Amino acid sequence: MFFALFESSRAAFVSIFAHGLRSFLTTLGIVIGVASVIAVVSVTQGMSAFIGDTFSSLGSNSLTIESYTPLEDQMKGIRARLTPSDLELIEKRADGIASITPILYANRASQVKYGSQTAFSQIFGTTYAFQDVSQSYMRAGRFIAQSDNETRRRVVVIGDKVRENLSLPENPVNEFVEIGGEWLKVVGLLEPKGDLMGFNQDDLVIMPFNTMRSIQGNQARSDIQIQLSLTEQADIETISQQLTSLLRNAHGLSGEDDDDFTIQTSEQLMETFDSIINMVTIVVGGIVSISLLVGGIGIMNIMLVSVTERTREIGICKAIGAKRHHILMQFLIEALLLSLLGGLIGLAIGYALGNLISSSIPGFPPATIPLWSIALALGFSGFVGVLFGILPAAKAANLDPIDALRYE
Amino acid sequence: MALIELTQVTKYYEMGNQVVRALDGIDIAVGVNDYMAFIGSSGSGKSTMLNILGCLDKPTSGQYHLNGKNVETLDQNQLSEIRNLEIGFIFQSFNLLPRSTALANVMQPLIYRAVGYRERKKRALEALARVGLSDRVDHLPNQLSGGQRQRVAIARALVTKPSILLADEPTGNLDSKTTVEIMALFDELHSEGQTLIVVTHEDEIAQHCHRVVEMKDGSIANDSGPSSNQSQPEASR
Repeated sequence: MFFALFESSRAAFVSIFAHGLRSFLTTLGIVIGVASVIAVVSVTQGMSAFIGDTFSSLGSNSLTIESYTPLEDQMKGIRARLTPSDLELIEKRADGIASITPILYANRASQVKYGSQTAFSQIFGTTYAFQDVSQSYMRAGRFIAQSDNETRRRVVVIGDKVRENLSLPENPVNEFVEIGGEWLKVVGLLEPKGDLMGFNQDDLVIMPFNTMRSIQGNQARSDIQIQLSLTEQADIETISQQLTSLLRNAHGLSGEDDDDFTIQTSEQLMETFDSIINMVTIVVGGIVSISLLVGGIGIMNIMLVSVTERTREIGICKAIGAKRHHILMQFLIEALLLSLLGGLIGLAIGYALGNLISSSIPGFPPATIPLWSIALALGFSGFVGVLFGILPAAKAANLDPIDALRYE
Repeated sequence: MALIELTQVTKYYEMGNQVVRALDGIDIAVGVNDYMAFIGSSGSGKSTMLNILGCLDKPTSGQYHLNGKNVETLDQNQLSEIRNLEIGFIFQSFNLLPRSTALANVMQPLIYRAVGYRERKKRALEALARVGLSDRVDHLPNQLSGGQRQRVAIARALVTKPSILLADEPTGNLDSKTTVEIMALFDELHSEGQTLIVVTHEDEIAQHCHRVVEMKDGSIANDSGPSSNQSQPEASR
């Protein structure tokens, strides 16, 4: 059996290379199919890996608390919120917290003015710890300091996109911008980060948390987001349980009520993103793999032609003693080899294509090819080869030796 | 016992609603080291005869014993095996694999016998040397002359050391000089003990053979009798 397999492979190789151009054209369908599958997978997986890295840079022991209103309540006009008093509560009562960063988004129109220029931007208040959390670096000036927050200084740090939109000078430090009728001094300009998946990361205005609260006036109605990072020893499960019971108490929720907030670990966030990306990979990959099917039909077509063309050779082989399985195996292995070769070439092209795509789109993470996609692509093309090789191979094996020998 | 024994062998083909009797009740026996020729005009049934003798085809009725084995009971794969072990074919149009070298062509039948590469090559080179083609082993069939191609085909038939060598118009595509060479080779093989059966319509070829069977309309019209060293009863009608 092994001997026959080896000899059939040898014969198949000879035949494939004897018709170099035709073999190449035959396998082109598989090449394109595998290349597109690999390109799609490598780009989306690169994105996924990038997101994974981003979240792990947040630290695996960080938590985000947000208010959460079920849809039903939203329709009744009820809105859950996290308030600065929740923040104080957590600061005072929770254990194992290394740093705590509140984020308060502007709830009115996020307009920024400078001179005659007006721009819309993402405006939020936070504390000095945000710089570490978001891994922001300064191009000019400084970030929000702790004292800015404590004394509610009217200062802002802006992103490069905002500076551009407002036609601020190259170094905007000490200029004044107007937000909601208040004048704030620019103390720092952030280093540009570029685009991430189509979102500009430099279109933001950051002010001290307490300044934001005072500008917003009605403090009781503000809804904040709280980011926590935990100390090394702290157990993320214990802390989030403690936080849950603290907040449930503070919000006066009885045993039956659902939480009106969510505590998300960075891992959970990452999983959410991952599952979205995996879904995209599967859907797009599935569509693209239809081309593999088409490629397989191409192989079947050429193999059938090849069987007809070689009818006489098959007859000779049968006359000198080839059994059914010898012929069957030779053609089947030929189809299998063709599609595997196509798969390998497609793999290389797909990898190059994936890298090309991710490097030509600015801010796109580099492509990565997971091992499973290589195995899948080769496995699938092999499967296609066998599937579409069976018909021609069976046709060849079932030829009657006399008829085959007479065939011209 | 005879090497080949045919008893009341018939072969009918259906063409439309007409039945063609290609072979009509053949009784014949061929002994070891026979050197015989089937002659006859086209349509006399000699090609059908050869196909049946070569186990390429099965008779419609009657019995065919080859080396004591009843061929009738064998399936396609077993017939392949018989062809590989017992029979060496030589065709009018050589029937070499066009993309394989002379050596690879001669090695081919041994593949189906699962002989390893080194042993295959050794035996194939021996067979090629036997037909005088040692200097052409790496040539493709289209780089060889007709006579050389037929020698390769003979080497391919010999490499399996078959019980019978079956030649179908072996010199039909060759000029007279190479015909003489090929027939000389056949004579030599016969003198070494090889059993040969040749199908031909040329009298000069038949003259080389020690036994000539003439076929007509699917029957044996004339049989010159078993070769000298055989004592089989004459089978004719």
